[in-house]
Amino acid sequence: MFTSLQMHLAGVFLKIFLRNRQAILFSLFFPLIFIGAFSFSGGERDPFLIGVADQSKSSISSEFIQSLEAEDLFTVLEGDFADLESELLAGDLEGLILIPQNFVSLEELGALEFYVDASQTRQVGVIQKAIDSSLISIERKIRNTSPLFKIELKDVKARPQRYIDFLLPGLLAFMIMNLSIAGSGFNVVEYRRRGILKRLFVTPIRPRDFIVSIVLARMLIVLVQLSVVLSIALFALDIRLVGSYFSFYLAVILGTFIFLCIGFALGSLAKTQEGIRPIVGLVTFPQIILSGVFFPISSMPEYIQPIVYSLPLSSLASALRDIANDGASFFSLSYPTFGVLIWVLIAFFVATKFFVWKEVAK
Amino acid sequence: MSIVEVIDLQKSYLDPQTKNNFQAVDGVSFLLDEVQIFGILGPNGAGKTTTLEMIEGLTDIDGGSACVKGINVANNPFQVKEIIGVQLQSNEYFDSLSLEELLILFGKLYQNNIDAKDLLSKVDLSEKINAKPEELSGGQKQRFSIACALVNEPTVLFLDEPTTGLDPQAKHNLWQLIKELNNSGMTIILTTHNMEEAETLCHKVAIMDKGQIIIEGKPLDLIHDIETKSGKKENLETVFLSLTGRDLRD
Repeated sequence: MFTSLQMHLAGVFLKIFLRNRQAILFSLFFPLIFIGAFSFSGGERDPFLIGVADQSKSSISSEFIQSLEAEDLFTVLEGDFADLESELLAGDLEGLILIPQNFVSLEELGALEFYVDASQTRQVGVIQKAIDSSLISIERKIRNTSPLFKIELKDVKARPQRYIDFLLPGLLAFMIMNLSIAGSGFNVVEYRRRGILKRLFVTPIRPRDFIVSIVLARMLIVLVQLSVVLSIALFALDIRLVGSYFSFYLAVILGTFIFLCIGFALGSLAKTQEGIRPIVGLVTFPQIILSGVFFPISSMPEYIQPIVYSLPLSSLASALRDIANDGASFFSLSYPTFGVLIWVLIAFFVATKFFVWKEVAK
Repeated sequence: MSIVEVIDLQKSYLDPQTKNNFQAVDGVSFLLDEVQIFGILGPNGAGKTTTLEMIEGLTDIDGGSACVKGINVANNPFQVKEIIGVQLQSNEYFDSLSLEELLILFGKLYQNNIDAKDLLSKVDLSEKINAKPEELSGGQKQRFSIACALVNEPTVLFLDEPTTGLDPQAKHNLWQLIKELNNSGMTIILTTHNMEEAETLCHKVAIMDKGQIIIEGKPLDLIHDIETKSGKKENLETVFLSLTGRDLRD
């Protein structure tokens, strides 16, 4: 399958990597950053700290305060309005509710005043909805009525899925993209800048031997890095991979191949490290934002979704997510796995088109 | 069959500043039909390196032809690369590999399992077998780059300004090595600015200027011709300056 030259060259590239302490340190540091991100993203948000200044001291107001305290969403701090207001201004509180003196009689119930620093509190809407909900429950209790409608949540997947379960496959896809493009693109530019490619070009080495050997070596490095992150995520963060490891790693290998090829193409376009950075940024940055790594593509505006779904990172992230979260097989040839296969062909074509040995060696 | 046959080589580039075509090599021809050291001399920008790179298959040939041992470079570049050795003007290698590992790697590129120790002893670097290229002196680096060019036991060895930047000791040491390689049956084509080098080493030289060979012959014959004209003792440098002028070149 691979020639002895390709294997030897791949071994040389691995040896170069293993002898580069900085590269090893970075390759371990990078996954550790990811793991840190995982562990933080997996936790629940701290409750909102809300101040309540009760000027009525009525039974309705105390019932309202108790109801707020019962909400997991809030931590309630009671106190004097002026003190609480200065805490809000200092940013120590996320909202302040003033219960007016006339919050006594149901017939003439005074309006609650909700103070918030909108520039600091992005969750104003969430807090306001929770307060409304508390008020409705109190009202029902006082009026002795029960809700007309009920919603019961039925989990058809019959298993709990946290944000981190959603996030992990996307982050792994993102990691594959970064490590692969850096592994091929930046190396090609560096070898070119230093004249190493020119030195190779005067020998009978074929471009495919060079490309295959770099792909082999970098593939192994990426697989090890990714496996470290995956293992820690599975064991330390209690993430479950529902689908088969075979399907998962097949998608990983093909994804790595895609981005290594794209890296080759980008590395062939740029002549210097300064030149390749903006080119790589132009290709990767929109994908990080748009490819459903951090939130579902379905939450984006509909008109942009077809474009977003066609990006290579979207295909890979969705394929990994389908396998990891939904137990899909890579061979089910769903949209994302089909997308990965199409991108394998496109990326290979682009790499061989742009990686013109003679031009790159110059 | 000639060892190297170059006929009417042409190469032009688009000058990025003037946006005009710049004729870097304009009708260069020469023939090497016996083992020898052939020197291409010329001021900066004369087209020496471009000529060499076209014969090595590094640069596309716009017009004319170049053959090494009867193999056309443009049609069979990989076949030509199998039988030539090339030392470039500047040589960089993969980081963190020792001289031995680099030579084995270069050998593999030619499908050769080479004896790195033996090759390094040829260029007097046996004791540096485990050193990295960046740990070598200028002269040692040049000798190592020649060792890399010898991994396939080439028929023709191309050396692009091999002694530039070397001290006199390193230079003479390298000249000795080049002579030994030639004595072992290797044809060597080198470019140089150094007239002493050309006079000492080359059996035949071609002086290039503005992309053309303006004179070709044995160094002593060229010197003799100009001595006849001037009536006093001359050297190759006088020949060179009388042909290319004394104006500064970029």
